[in-house]
Amino acid sequence: MNNLIVLPIILPLVASVIVAFFPKKLNIARKFSQITSVLLTAVAAYLAWYVFTNETVVMQSGGWDAPFGISIVGDSLSMLLVLTSSIVGTAAIFYAPSALEEQQEKFYFYTFYFLLISGVSGAFMTGDLFNLFVFFEVLLMASYGLIVLGNGKIQLRESFKYVLFNLFSSMLFVTSVAFIYAITGTVNLAHLAERVGEIEEQGILTTVAIVLFFVFAVKAAIFPLYYWLPNSYVVPNPVVSALFGALLTKVGIYSILRVFTLIFVHDTGVTHQIFIWLAMLTMLFGVIGALSTNNVKLIITYNIIPAIGFMLMGVGLFTETAIAGSVYYLMHDMVIKGALFFFIGALIVAAGTKDLTKMTGVIQKYPLLGWLFFIASLVLAGVPPFSGFIGKLLLLQGGLDQEEFLLVIVALVSSLLILFSMMRIFIRGFWGELMEGISDNRKRVRNLTIPGLVLLSISVYLGIAAESVYPHIEAIANMLLDRTEYISTVLKE
Amino acid sequence: MEIIMTVLASILFATGIYNLLQKQLLRIVIGTVLVSHGAHLFLLTMSQLKRGAPPLVVDGVTQYTDPLPQALILTAIVISFGVTSFLLVLAYRTYTLNKTDNMEELRGSEHE
Amino acid sequence: MIYAVFAPLLFAVLIPFLSRWKDRVHTGWLILPVPLAIFIYFLQFVGPNFEPQSMSVDWIPSLNISLSFYLDGLSLLFSLLISGIGMLVVLYSIYYLNHKEQLGHFYTYLYIFMSAMLGVVLSDNVYVLYTFWEMTSISSFLLIGYWHYRERSRYGALKSMLITVFGGFSLLGGLILLNIVTGTTSIREMVAQSEVILDSPYFPLILVFLLLGAFTKSAQFPFHIWLPDAMEAPTPVSAYLHSATMVKAGIYLIARFSPIFAGEPNFFVVVSLFGIVTLAWASYMAVRQTDLKGILAYSTISQLGMIMAMLGFGTDVALFAAVFHILNHATFKGSLFMIAGIVDHETGTRDIRKLGGLFTLMPISGTLAIFGTFSMAGVPLPFLNGFYSKEMFFEATLLNQAAGPFGQFLVAAIPVLAVVGSIFTFVYSMYLFFGTFRGKYREEELPQKPHEAPKMMLLPPFLLVLGVILIGLIPEVFNQSLITHAADAVFGEEINKSIYFWHGLVPAFYMSLAVVVLGVALYLTKHKWEGVYSILPGKLSFNRIYDWLVEKIESTSNRITTSYMTGSLRLYMVLLLTAIFVITSGVLVQTGGINLEVTDVAPITVTEVIVALFIAFAAIATIFTHNRIAVILTVGVVGYGLSILFVLYRAPDLALTQLIVETVTVALFMLCFYHLPNLSKTKAPLFQKGINVAISVGFGLLMMVVGISAYNSRAFDPISDFFIENSYPLGGGDNMVNVILVDFRGIDTLFEVAVLFGAALAVYAMIKLRRNKGAK
Repeated sequence: MNNLIVLPIILPLVASVIVAFFPKKLNIARKFSQITSVLLTAVAAYLAWYVFTNETVVMQSGGWDAPFGISIVGDSLSMLLVLTSSIVGTAAIFYAPSALEEQQEKFYFYTFYFLLISGVSGAFMTGDLFNLFVFFEVLLMASYGLIVLGNGKIQLRESFKYVLFNLFSSMLFVTSVAFIYAITGTVNLAHLAERVGEIEEQGILTTVAIVLFFVFAVKAAIFPLYYWLPNSYVVPNPVVSALFGALLTKVGIYSILRVFTLIFVHDTGVTHQIFIWLAMLTMLFGVIGALSTNNVKLIITYNIIPAIGFMLMGVGLFTETAIAGSVYYLMHDMVIKGALFFFIGALIVAAGTKDLTKMTGVIQKYPLLGWLFFIASLVLAGVPPFSGFIGKLLLLQGGLDQEEFLLVIVALVSSLLILFSMMRIFIRGFWGELMEGISDNRKRVRNLTIPGLVLLSISVYLGIAAESVYPHIEAIANMLLDRTEYISTVLKE
Repeated sequence: MEIIMTVLASILFATGIYNLLQKQLLRIVIGTVLVSHGAHLFLLTMSQLKRGAPPLVVDGVTQYTDPLPQALILTAIVISFGVTSFLLVLAYRTYTLNKTDNMEELRGSEHE
Repeated sequence: MIYAVFAPLLFAVLIPFLSRWKDRVHTGWLILPVPLAIFIYFLQFVGPNFEPQSMSVDWIPSLNISLSFYLDGLSLLFSLLISGIGMLVVLYSIYYLNHKEQLGHFYTYLYIFMSAMLGVVLSDNVYVLYTFWEMTSISSFLLIGYWHYRERSRYGALKSMLITVFGGFSLLGGLILLNIVTGTTSIREMVAQSEVILDSPYFPLILVFLLLGAFTKSAQFPFHIWLPDAMEAPTPVSAYLHSATMVKAGIYLIARFSPIFAGEPNFFVVVSLFGIVTLAWASYMAVRQTDLKGILAYSTISQLGMIMAMLGFGTDVALFAAVFHILNHATFKGSLFMIAGIVDHETGTRDIRKLGGLFTLMPISGTLAIFGTFSMAGVPLPFLNGFYSKEMFFEATLLNQAAGPFGQFLVAAIPVLAVVGSIFTFVYSMYLFFGTFRGKYREEELPQKPHEAPKMMLLPPFLLVLGVILIGLIPEVFNQSLITHAADAVFGEEINKSIYFWHGLVPAFYMSLAVVVLGVALYLTKHKWEGVYSILPGKLSFNRIYDWLVEKIESTSNRITTSYMTGSLRLYMVLLLTAIFVITSGVLVQTGGINLEVTDVAPITVTEVIVALFIAFAAIATIFTHNRIAVILTVGVVGYGLSILFVLYRAPDLALTQLIVETVTVALFMLCFYHLPNLSKTKAPLFQKGINVAISVGFGLLMMVVGISAYNSRAFDPISDFFIENSYPLGGGDNMVNVILVDFRGIDTLFEVAVLFGAALAVYAMIKLRRNKGAK
């Protein structure tokens, strides 16, 4: 079992290399990718099940015990996210053929896709700070490949900004690894956690922790570091945006969740209080962005940001309920963001435009898409009994419990505004007289709708059948707050 | 010596950032290169300099320089190289398609 | 009970399939038995010996969320209204909507609502209640937007959703706080702990949150503005949701929590004040409306205000009257909405200025309308239920307890406002009836020639009017079997009240008398004083505030966002770096992390300093060099300098790698930038340059301080001793760095190669794809 845990990282890497050999034979590439993706999901599901029912699995790579080798740690949080991301990824693979031009598929879409999944899984599972940097680079490199796919003029322009911001934060990452190594002399997460707990001179440690937080915050798109996100997520193909929206920022927030529950919990009065303020601002400014535009895709893109705020809120509150809320929200948001980008892609194809002022009455011709979008909007806004509600409920409970009234009110207001931003699309775009020039390609729109339907069903399930999921999430929150289990499992003490 | 090297790495950071804040594509790319040099130097410096022989096993030598940061830097250099080459080509393609190398003219409010 | 709640929802799922045969059988007939069955189910509980029922099914036990339902008198009253009026509305809609409409959608929304509303009034678990609460808002949104190709429908739908969901989120906040304070999610258990809640420091916040939820849902001033616009929904919906049931959810909520709050001074002041102001303002505004449904909408608002006010009074007579009026209002208002729908259906207009003299053409509708309007006006006749509850309302307004000067002022003002509101109620009731059915018949103004509606369409309003009359004639039967149980539930203990027609010459009688006399006088002189509306409200309208707010939210968002999301890379970088700089240095200073002592450093040697200086100069030179080749070479110098440093610092592998990488990079630079324009001298304004310098120097300094402090804070020996000791015996290599790379940290290297692989393909795709596709 210990060595199998590395499969979610290695399998996609191998797949990405294999699929690079026959990029022009699209039929084979598609079939291969679909089968591999499903297989990968099955593997992830099995491993997740194993970890949930048994215990955390650690692979010490090359047989070198932590902290000297690199530990790949499959704990319940990691496996939950690996599973979720492979599900979203599989949906994207089935979405891709209808969404992409053949040219784009031929130029290594599938290779970059698998590379991305490999990097994302690796980032979720690695137990080593520097190795986390490496996986970040893997997934970023894949995302660079995906974002420039198609080579549009505007696409390249926005890609350049995207790459630049990520490059800068990566360099900052290396630098903060340097600082952390200087203080603690180690890069293994569990070992770091242990050593940080023993340090007396903590001022500089807090500062370094904040620098590291900013590294992750740039990737996670937290206020005020998200400038790169909106436009660079809008320009690529919807399937790429869906992958980015569902997975990339989540890796950033996961890293914050991991590092600031496992390692840097020595001065929560400073670090986590900063998170609370930033969470508030992230929610507000994100939703303000979502209300500022008539570009439907940009509305969805901006809605990534307040969701990140919600997750950061849980980390900042740092109680069991709130952390459970963050984890639930994280899982839910990966699924629903994927679904929403899929629907928006279908909407753009159906309406032939991204401009909300130019589309009306789409629901009359595409009722399924319309209703799915409507439900997805409710899910996003956290209306019960869907999955968004459970996470939000926990976060609000945590917030009120800690007497962070302003934070809770901001969270509630931004939920309302999120709903408003989504209803603008529904009321103005889907309702109304049927527009002229609406697409007749029902088959393509249907193909673009089905993967979203699958994700949306999962999301609805996560809400209505929360009982089948929540106890696991609660266990994860417990585990995150009680660090000893992680440390002792990895360090074998 | 570590202090001087820290200062040098900071200078690399500062000049890199200054270049990043310019308008021309070339300068911006150069900025990233300088910043990554700075980051690598930090990594080396932070693990103390010259505390022993080069990390090549030689009989009789017990004091070696910390090999781990060197390995990390090596990885980082190679990765930076990959990303930088990509960025270079991207910058070049951006220029040829958009007909300008001035980022301020590449703000863009319209979307495809 | 759970089946009763979920049956409509189940059918809502089936309706789209049933509606396929809508051309042969109107979908309404197929599903009519559902509310009928539910109604009969709840009817069996009615009687003098009613005992509360409860049941519970687990849903999310680990979050203390269970589907626990509790049927007491209050819930029973509401359940009967929901299923009973629901049934009548479905029957009515069969004639109102023809089969060309999207019946499937209509009934789906309607049945979702029915489930949701039953859920609201039966749930004992606060989160389940909240879930159903939001479901009512959403189904209401969909029903208002049913004719979504109409601009006004979309406007009304959005408005109702924004306002009620705003309230819903606020309610959620309140419920969570209640949960935290009492440690339970059951409403009954919360009520049992009313002391704990009242003493809690969160109490004011709980009150504000809950009241916002209730006031928005029940359209209390100033949140009432969504209700008139909700009249864009098909009339059966207006009769059902926006008069008889959904808008009473807020009332229900307050009534449900009344045993906790009743008598609390703040609760009294706030709820009574908002209730009574709503009553007065809405009835005043109703007179001004010209749309039949508009009049009814404002009338509903004002009646809701009246009930709300009584809940605020919290005395036994007030609560009893409140419950009684909930029932009465549902009967007469439901019938009036249906009549308005019939008039609309027959004449093609709802504009009261065009209508008139319809009595001769539609005598049955007209007769039904007499009962409805007169009951609403509170005309003292023994067969009109409206009079009874109005009389009790007047009795309830005469309070004597009061706390604080404002409370005393309120106690004095309440009866006055109550009478004023009732006078206007009288006026619009008369206007509604006489304006529509009496007066001059203007055929030329009407789009259609009216005649009496089909008998089955008249049945539902007839049954409701029958309710009006029966309650008026035999109030005690209803009281003993239903109302008293509901009132007990609201009051928390038994209320023994009887309902009489004649109370004697008590103050309430004089108030009623004043209402009738002044009402008649004002109605007859209406055209003379109508000008007052141009002064009040004139331009002051909450609709304007709402429109302004929505418009402002969008435009301000746009302004804020476009002000910083300019697409300028430099601006983004400046903002980003400033944020990192400010927060990090703030933390650094606050935690006292700075440590600039010089301890434990390697000796300074001349060679190294020279190389360092060289690099520093080259780095700075990049800024001032404007020849592209020169700049690239200068960067190369930095890189090569670095590799010399690596040599000096005993890192031969690094030096070698750096050397190769640098060479290739420089070559690539040359290749890519050979075609680019030469670097121009930076012509940026001085101010901008200053910012650039400040940020880069500041950031550099920060990194330096953090770096030195981190260096000085070495707390542990690095883990590398393991590598030094074991690379040969265990790793089998004498180059430790290589052993680490390929063995100890093999994964790093593997994925480092993956990055290069990705970069190579990305570059290839970027160059190659252009040729196939061409530039866009």
